[in-house]
Amino acid sequence: MTVLELDAVSKRFGGVVAVDGFSHRLEEGGLYAVIGPNGAGKTTIFNLITGIYQPTSGSIRFRGEDITGLPPFKIAQKGIARTFQNIRLFSHSSVLDNVRTACFRSSSYSILEGLFPTPRRFREERMLREKTLNLLEMVSLADRAEEKARNLPYGYQRRIEIARALAQEPKLLLLDEPAAGMNPDETRQLMDFIEHIHKTFKLTILLIEHHMELVMGLSQHIVVLDFGKTLASGTAEEIQSNPAVIEAYLGSGEEV
Amino acid sequence: MNMVLQQIINGISIGAVYALISVGYSLVYSILKFSNFAHGGVMMLGSYFGLLGLQYLGLPFPLAMALAIVGSGLLAVLNERVAYRPIRNRNSPLLYLLISSLGVSIFFENFTIVTIGPNFRTYPPVLPTDSLMFGGLSVGRLDIIIFVMAAVTLSLLTWLVYGTKIGNAIRATSYNMRVSRLMGINPDMIVALVFFLAGASAGLGGVLFGIKYTVWPQMGILTLKAFIAAVVGGLGSLPGAVVGALLLGTAETFAAAFVSSAFRDLFSFALMILIILVRPAGLFGKITEEKA
Repeated sequence: MTVLELDAVSKRFGGVVAVDGFSHRLEEGGLYAVIGPNGAGKTTIFNLITGIYQPTSGSIRFRGEDITGLPPFKIAQKGIARTFQNIRLFSHSSVLDNVRTACFRSSSYSILEGLFPTPRRFREERMLREKTLNLLEMVSLADRAEEKARNLPYGYQRRIEIARALAQEPKLLLLDEPAAGMNPDETRQLMDFIEHIHKTFKLTILLIEHHMELVMGLSQHIVVLDFGKTLASGTAEEIQSNPAVIEAYLGSGEEV
Repeated sequence: MNMVLQQIINGISIGAVYALISVGYSLVYSILKFSNFAHGGVMMLGSYFGLLGLQYLGLPFPLAMALAIVGSGLLAVLNERVAYRPIRNRNSPLLYLLISSLGVSIFFENFTIVTIGPNFRTYPPVLPTDSLMFGGLSVGRLDIIIFVMAAVTLSLLTWLVYGTKIGNAIRATSYNMRVSRLMGINPDMIVALVFFLAGASAGLGGVLFGIKYTVWPQMGILTLKAFIAAVVGGLGSLPGAVVGALLLGTAETFAAAFVSSAFRDLFSFALMILIILVRPAGLFGKITEEKA
């Protein structure tokens, strides 16, 4: 089943064409990567998918449904979650609250019940807490649950962001440079972790990354962007041997 | 000694009413980062809603109270919808929201003068006004009832904000509206909810104030005190708003009792200014907000 289908999506900011006729199809359960030099339009594509930007032209379909032009919260509700290149946690809140916020929709009690201490409210709040702690357990942060998010080291904050995205029970997970600022050790751990959640949650994942080892090691399919246009698309081997890519991006045969 | 205790009790009672109003300033500020000066008008109309229910519709007191609470809550939502949302959607500077709220405040006041009339009105005697003796202390029964009602409302509100998923969503939206919507939280829904809660508690405050004193179209100006209480507590902080309001209420009654009632506002406001000079972000405020 096709999870996401981008059809000739373009985004212009005044005279600048950030994304130019981008088309791509993500099949269920796949792990995809978008690579390309800085300013190639990668994050813009994420912002288009999540509804932060409206495409200038083209259409975006999610699980068969046209989501072009929907507000971000509706797109999130349909099952697309993301993390950010520059971490965006609710930094003054606890780790627990950060992740719990994203569980918002897995409990159904009403706003009125929120004002009055009904048994159902207590039950559901307990359930939300359990669920949050389980997710934190999975990213090995359960013991830091009560700490303020901003007091945790950088690598941990990334894991909070991923846990927060998973809390939304997404069908599609967008990871924007998850390995940014990580050392080789942390990066390897992250790779294992991404592989793990990909299998456990049967997720479709689309990631943006500069770290070639991670991209080549994980992704089943890679898209190379340059100046808003698709330069190449294929498996890791195909990309690595594509002359256009080597010239424009990877350099002459050497690893970047 | 008894005199001092007596004044503390009086101060807490009026402070609790201020608290009902100042939490509204803080709630709205925490989400939209501006001071909603139409809040006083909502409180004033809430007071009139209660009066309307009691005197003209002949409702029993609890129903009239409910009318005032729900009515002013909805009024605040309508106020946001008509006067603030279009400005928000255009991403205009926050100053425009402030100016718009001043306009709405003037509108509410004059609308009331034209339709209901400029005179002072009093609530019928719905609550007992006699005093109870505790040891050597005489405490007005009205003051106790007002305090209990305010305290229960504030507790429910605090619990909602700090102990439920809805409060979680409100706080996430106040930290970062752009990120919280990516969690599937509808920002407009949260804004409407916050205005409803702010308006509803102001409505209750208006009714209690009306019962203790009187009702008149310019009574919204009194919420200036609640606003200052919210600033002293740390604008945007719910516990801060409550503590600031209790402090102001107590300072006021002390000044009236031990200095002179003519100097009441002078003394209490001087104290507030002093606190802000020492702690510019308020008692519970964060000094600087880190940029995400």
